[in-house]
Amino acid sequence: MRILMLGWEYPPHISGGLGTACEGLTIALARRGVEIDFLVPKLYGEEDAPHMHLLGAASAAPSQVEPVQHVQSELPLVEAIAEPVSSEPTFATDPVPTSEVAAAGQREEADVPAEIRMVHVPAMLKPYLDRATYQELIRGGSLPRAEYERRVATQAVPAIPVPPSAITRLEHAHVPGDDAVFAEEAQAFEGAGHYGDDLFAEVARYAVAAARRVAGKKYDLVHAHDWMTFPAGIEIAQRAGAPLVVHVHSLEYDRAGQGADRDIVAIERQGLEYATRVVAVSYYTRSLINRVHSTSLDKISVVHNGVYAHETVEAYSEQRSSTGPVVLFLGRVTFQKGPEYFVQAAARVLEHVPDAVFIMAGSGDMLPRMEALVEELGITESFRFPGWLRGAEIERAFSTASVYVMPSVSEPFGIAPLEAMSHDRPVIVSKQSGVSEILRNALKVDFWDVDKMASQIVALLELPELRHTIVERAREEIRHIHWDAAAEKLVPVYESIIQA
Amino acid sequence: MPSVCFYFEVHQPYRLKPYGALQVGRDHDYFDDKLNAEVLRKVADKCYLPANESMLRLIERTDGRFRISYAVTGVAIEQMKKYAPEVLDSFIRLAKSGAVEFVAETYYHSLAALYDKAEYKEQIDMELDLIKREFGQTPRVFRNTELIYNDEIGQFIADLGFDAMICEGADDILDWRSPNFVYHVAGREMRLLAKNYKLSDDIAFRFSNRGWAEYPLTADKFAGWVHGHSGAGDVINLFMDYETFGEHQWRETGIFEFLEHLPELLFNHPDWDILTPSQAIDRYPALGELPFHRTVSWADEARDISAWRGNAMQQRALAEIYSLGPAIRRRNNSNLLALWRRLQTSDHFYYMATKSASDAEVHDYFSPYEGPYDAFIHYMNVMKDLNLSVFAPAEKRAGL
Repeated sequence: MRILMLGWEYPPHISGGLGTACEGLTIALARRGVEIDFLVPKLYGEEDAPHMHLLGAASAAPSQVEPVQHVQSELPLVEAIAEPVSSEPTFATDPVPTSEVAAAGQREEADVPAEIRMVHVPAMLKPYLDRATYQELIRGGSLPRAEYERRVATQAVPAIPVPPSAITRLEHAHVPGDDAVFAEEAQAFEGAGHYGDDLFAEVARYAVAAARRVAGKKYDLVHAHDWMTFPAGIEIAQRAGAPLVVHVHSLEYDRAGQGADRDIVAIERQGLEYATRVVAVSYYTRSLINRVHSTSLDKISVVHNGVYAHETVEAYSEQRSSTGPVVLFLGRVTFQKGPEYFVQAAARVLEHVPDAVFIMAGSGDMLPRMEALVEELGITESFRFPGWLRGAEIERAFSTASVYVMPSVSEPFGIAPLEAMSHDRPVIVSKQSGVSEILRNALKVDFWDVDKMASQIVALLELPELRHTIVERAREEIRHIHWDAAAEKLVPVYESIIQA
Repeated sequence: MPSVCFYFEVHQPYRLKPYGALQVGRDHDYFDDKLNAEVLRKVADKCYLPANESMLRLIERTDGRFRISYAVTGVAIEQMKKYAPEVLDSFIRLAKSGAVEFVAETYYHSLAALYDKAEYKEQIDMELDLIKREFGQTPRVFRNTELIYNDEIGQFIADLGFDAMICEGADDILDWRSPNFVYHVAGREMRLLAKNYKLSDDIAFRFSNRGWAEYPLTADKFAGWVHGHSGAGDVINLFMDYETFGEHQWRETGIFEFLEHLPELLFNHPDWDILTPSQAIDRYPALGELPFHRTVSWADEARDISAWRGNAMQQRALAEIYSLGPAIRRRNNSNLLALWRRLQTSDHFYYMATKSASDAEVHDYFSPYEGPYDAFIHYMNVMKDLNLSVFAPAEKRAGL
């Protein structure tokens, strides 16, 4: 079986969970004899994927788009910028340091299959980076200042001056048969300068480039991950006469709720309608796809994500600093992640466990409101807002926490609880998350049920028998949540499509 | 002349309501009255009423040659009176048929045998009084909660004066012996009737299992298996949860038709009859002593007590409730005593079990909660409130 997979990123250059998921899934599929060409907008040369052919899309558009300098943000962003703490996440358009390019070039010559070509396609869009979160990241200080200034000018401006209608957009995204005509259009489209670096243009550009890159190749099916690759998937599937599988890791609705970007929703729908089969990362996402897009449930298969089987991290002993037990929230502080329910639950917990400490690690557009709410509730003393954590700081946060809480309002899957579990931490997850479907050894709660959430936190803090039983069994449980199980479910889905 | 002996467990716990940490100190109603009423009415409609009707009809049709025995727990009877009195009436009709024996157990279906022998005896006495009062019988035979048994428990029950006790016929206990004979307790004369778990579970667990090689199980086939033991045993003990009829095995599975036809088919073989436990021990001699080298029950694959105290949560909860005993008794307050005892019912701890695979399915099936962790959290919050609301004020009053 030979398939083409369309992704948006691949480790190590990743900004979200999508790249990691694609890596885990393709390794497990390759183990089952599936031949995979994996196409991303851009390769850096550091990727390591001996199990498949990793392809970078050739550019159909001008190779580098000059940043538009004339627009100055109307948002009072500057005050909100924290000191730049890191250059992560690395954006695809970050100028690649010369030494890195050289190193990558050497590696390419040395041991990267001939298929891998270093093609620099401007691809700013990141899997879970809609316009709003993009601005959050900037405000949160995750971008270096210089990069930030550049980006504010080019992308973080209030969206698109004159948004074209969804239909127009999709005509561009949905590449017409004649490349030449489209290339002209695409150029004109960028030349206009209104949204040359707009994410929709990137999606369209990727579609064109991807279609060119694999022209003439034969595939049994095309598998596209999330909406950014759907137009490319449709185009290639049409040209190659191959069936299309679209894989939904996250819906626009998950990220934005009622504030969903209608254009993204339209692209999602187009992919869902065109696809022969839809794969959802959870039953939760399956039913959300059905509700939001009216896609028939029969058309949607559920394949839960896995995690890398790595040894559980040697947990720090339960020694706590001078403070009381720590309850951890870790993630973007946005509507989707439900931070206010965490704060409300905290206030209730403190009545029973007055020395508990609550850490809200992360940043996002709701952070100021959360800080205000904490103050309003008079629990400032018990709260910490350390901002974005990275690498070792995340490890440390998990290791010193007594409880990890993921109160998400809408979470297609949710990998963080599994990380907490691998650190021997007991977790509470909202029932509105995909991961809650597969976990037995976690406490579950409706995100809005703050009384129950508080009760669960209190119980975990006060009852060592509860904590130990959960941790012990969870340790065993996560060993079984691996990508091989996902591939085992996916291969029959492929087979049924190819046979049909 | 070999015999078949039927015994059915009838029990309903007082389930706790979901009791969160925030309710502690504010809410002193612990039980989920609405749920308990619903469950009792549902089981009454699906099992108790139709099954009792079948039993009564079979007894009449066979002129009392079809005989059965029950243990009905005190907490089940209390709830029948409250939520479905017609169920108790139909058990009383069965009692009057002359073909039904009531077996004793603990009123609260508790694990007191393992924790507090004085309490254990009181709960047995309460049940004896109840059976006398409701059904006009004085039980000679005893069955412990979920057939939990070891030599010490057997000797304790023997010393209370019972003539026989019902136990699980676990393989490692019986060893080379057959379950189809009467034995006696190690060091005592009291008889033991061991469950033939294979034939019992063919009905109770496997009856509607389409993956089972013997599916579908007809009364004819089953009677044939029983008759196959002719000459190789005295009494085949078929012990099971009464809810097998209509609740665990739904009506649609044909379980009532099976029951309807079984007695006549058993009687088709002229050598075989059906006895109650007391009749069985009166007719058949004890073949020898049956010592138990471990504590056995009829629950889960392991047939031990891990269903109730297999993990740290269960052990903590049990330690907590039984440690309150002396303080509660000192109060001499009957309401408080009843409350404490309802919290001893073994089901509370059964819901906290963290078993895997097929055992977990069974536990989940019975549990009213989302899982063992919730069950433990609710229970421990109730314990906390009980401690706070009952003891703290008193200690203050006492100037402590």
